Amino acid sequence: MNRNVAVLGIAATPVGKYQSDASADIHTLEHEVLAKLVIEAMKDGGLPKEEIDSLILAQCRPYTQQKYFATFMANYLRMPCAASVMEVLGNGMTGGIALEQAIRDIESGRARAALAMGANFESATPSAEHMNSSMRATGDVDFHTPFGLTPIAWYAMDANRYIHEHGSSRRELATVAVKDRYHASLNPIAQYQKTITLDEVMAQREIVEPLGLYEVPPRGDGAVCILLCSEDIAKASGKPYVLVRGRGFYHEGVHQISEIPNDMIAFNSLQRASKNAYENAGITAQDLDFAEIYAPCTIVEVLASEAMELAPRGRGARAAADGETTLGGRIPISTSGGLLSRGHPAYVTPLYNMYEAVEQLRGDAGKRQVADARLGATSCELGNYNAAMVQILEAVR
Amino acid sequence: MSIEVIKKGRPRAYPPRPTECTVIFWEALTKGKFQTTKCNDCNSFTFPPKPVCPHCWSSSVSWKELSGKGTLYSRTTIYAAPATFKNETPIHAGIIDLEEGIRIATQLLEDDPIPIDSAVEIVAILYSDGPLYGARKPK
Ligand SMILES: [Zn+2]
Repeated sequence: MNRNVAVLGIAATPVGKYQSDASADIHTLEHEVLAKLVIEAMKDGGLPKEEIDSLILAQCRPYTQQKYFATFMANYLRMPCAASVMEVLGNGMTGGIALEQAIRDIESGRARAALAMGANFESATPSAEHMNSSMRATGDVDFHTPFGLTPIAWYAMDANRYIHEHGSSRRELATVAVKDRYHASLNPIAQYQKTITLDEVMAQREIVEPLGLYEVPPRGDGAVCILLCSEDIAKASGKPYVLVRGRGFYHEGVHQISEIPNDMIAFNSLQRASKNAYENAGITAQDLDFAEIYAPCTIVEVLASEAMELAPRGRGARAAADGETTLGGRIPISTSGGLLSRGHPAYVTPLYNMYEAVEQLRGDAGKRQVADARLGATSCELGNYNAAMVQILEAVR
Repeated sequence: MSIEVIKKGRPRAYPPRPTECTVIFWEALTKGKFQTTKCNDCNSFTFPPKPVCPHCWSSSVSWKELSGKGTLYSRTTIYAAPATFKNETPIHAGIIDLEEGIRIATQLLEDDPIPIDSAVEIVAILYSDGPLYGARKPK
């Protein structure tokens, strides 16, 4: 049994700062925020809660006090489930794994409908403290962490290598941040909506050379719920829906850095995952109307656009600077504003990317609507794109 | 073939944890010897050192000294550092391709940025509580 899977309902909070300080009199808590979104996503899809057989939760940040969050939510909303109730984790890919697991449950026939969802609350923890934890996630704790390498330091090294190899510049890469902010200015759920100029991006304080404050991800909180179901259920609903037309995944068996020297900025895993996804969907990169890419830094979007064959190798930064990836351009990328401006509550970021893809494919994206959007791609990753997951989505209206 | 040992009169911000395997690496490093494990079956080096070969899964590995010579593949300077490293900011770091065909990431000892694709050498750094290593422009 191998059934088609559709996305039928979505709900998300604007990305922002919600997490309350431990000493607050009144708290904002993950489960209350998420419960409202579940009801909203179900209403959006028009399904009764009895149709849900799987709850797949992106694991919460360690700052979330409520543990066993998936079973807690099953109780909080009284949702008996016949297929799965679980939390998943995989660095920045966490939300993508939640979607993938929900898709598999439906595809295999174990679930009629499934919810992929999560709440990532972290903003009350200062960045320097947060990095004490995240520095142990990227690299070897005993052979990399002692040198002070942070997650985005690896992307900064991608940037310097790219500039060196392809004659690009920080300024050319930084155009991605200006483009992302312009897109976010049209997105009511974006964390930062005020447009910025290239000079403003260049004038920010350095974070990891050559990247400044606006070229690395902001920190924020967010929560998303995505309702998926079999295509027959979606069809019977009479509502517009989004078909999951193809998927690809690849992990190159490398954690952050390959001890055998390789072309680090080729994003080999994303090349393979996107190729698999295009083949699985029966399309080529040229068929896509837009791509919602997981890119925590300007350079990452450029490298990902090349790996996904949306720009020629070494020309991704030029393409971005020339406006090819801006709304109205040849292949709009990160129409939500991306991780840089829509925001990056990391464990649910891939769910936000799915949310944006669904808005585009249902024609609900308002002022940032890609004209006649029929086919879109999302990507997510972990490490330095050592693993990549790609989903190809199609509008059915 | 030994590498230079530089002394620093302060402890490491985030000390590595030696194991029965890696303590051999750290103790040799203290004496200016930079070495890693090499597979006796498929002849592949591995770094960090491991008690098994990740390539062919052999458990027969030997220690082999490395020259410490390499080229800088990429680099960065970290201005926003984890709280643990607040006294060491800014942090200079890079990815180095050693001449034996091994890629590593480590700290850079530099006043001016070392250019990408230029030669670097590994040095041992003896802190008050134990060793680490780093790379610099060859003396
Ligand atoms: Zn071997």
